[in-house]
Amino acid sequence: MSKALTVGIADMKICRAPGMLVTYALGSCIGVCIYDPVLKLAGMVHIMLPNVYENCKDNIFKYADTGVPETIRKMEAFGAVRNRLVCKIAGGAKMFEISGNSSIGNIGERNAESVKNVLRMERVRLLRADVGSNYARTLYFDASTGEATVKAFGKPELRF
Amino acid sequence: MIEKYEDMDRFAMDVLKEIGSIGTGNAATALSQVLSRKIEMTLPEVKIMGYNRAIKELGGAEPIVAGVLVQLSGELNGIMLYLQKMDFIKVVLKSIIGKEINDYSDLGELEMSALIEIGNIIISSYINAISTLTGITINLSVPSASVNMLGAILSVPMIEYGYQTDKLMTIGGSFICEGEEVYSNLILLPDIHSLNFLMKKLGVANE
Repeated sequence: MSKALTVGIADMKICRAPGMLVTYALGSCIGVCIYDPVLKLAGMVHIMLPNVYENCKDNIFKYADTGVPETIRKMEAFGAVRNRLVCKIAGGAKMFEISGNSSIGNIGERNAESVKNVLRMERVRLLRADVGSNYARTLYFDASTGEATVKAFGKPELRF
Repeated sequence: MIEKYEDMDRFAMDVLKEIGSIGTGNAATALSQVLSRKIEMTLPEVKIMGYNRAIKELGGAEPIVAGVLVQLSGELNGIMLYLQKMDFIKVVLKSIIGKEINDYSDLGELEMSALIEIGNIIISSYINAISTLTGITINLSVPSASVNMLGAILSVPMIEYGYQTDKLMTIGGSFICEGEEVYSNLILLPDIHSLNFLMKKLGVANE
């Protein structure tokens, strides 16, 4: 896993086999991995917020409802076929328990909800999701097998 | 008017640095009294950074830290974060509850509670100093703690301000415990609207 391509926050990368994508320390953010198994083409986007607003279109990969469709569009430009695409997601944790009404509390949940909605609208199958709970995750995605690996502090490694 | 963090001039940055200095100074004194140890602080710095650089500056995405978070509301809105690593947690827990700890997995309920309390004392004294200086009312939320990857803890303020900016402004310094610099960062992250209010209140706003 030494040559993994790093996907930053509010960032997107696409690679072919035998490449590897990684995004570090997903908190309430969500790492969305999209894969075309025939071409062995993998895309990963690290989104922070569920929905874009009119006045803040600065970075489309920051929001679930713009970042995910754009990733799919870019992958199609590389030859991916939409009905072959499958998806795996991880993240969406609740990092701090804050009392009172606060956006910090449920943003992870809203992110996960929004990603699932967008995938439904884009007609991309969601195979597995490792979302929620209260811990940070590092997500690896292998372009040669389409396998995602989630590493978290004090937890066994999860492969799916 | 400041509309983005990048809009701040050097004068405004200096004002914030001074505020940070007063805050951290008070926090260091409070911490020193609780631990009955000599605590100094580094000169606070004001930094405006992109997300990925902010994480790098504060120590990388994956290392585990213990973070205490308090939300500020009232006339100044923002987030206050107190981050500490094992080297300092050891010192703190030894002097407060007299327990030796070597790993993050040793942190039980009592230890976490002690860490939250320390965070609470430090943050409260910091905010209290700012509030007295500027004469603005600041309410603090109940502190909350999380032992997790630094990147994920920092994503909390990033997400909170995600719709306003894609930069993070941190006003913070780190403590020096008995001559040794330990990883313990005290960071104030005000939102943009409050910055304007603060500048106006201190009479340094440039119209």
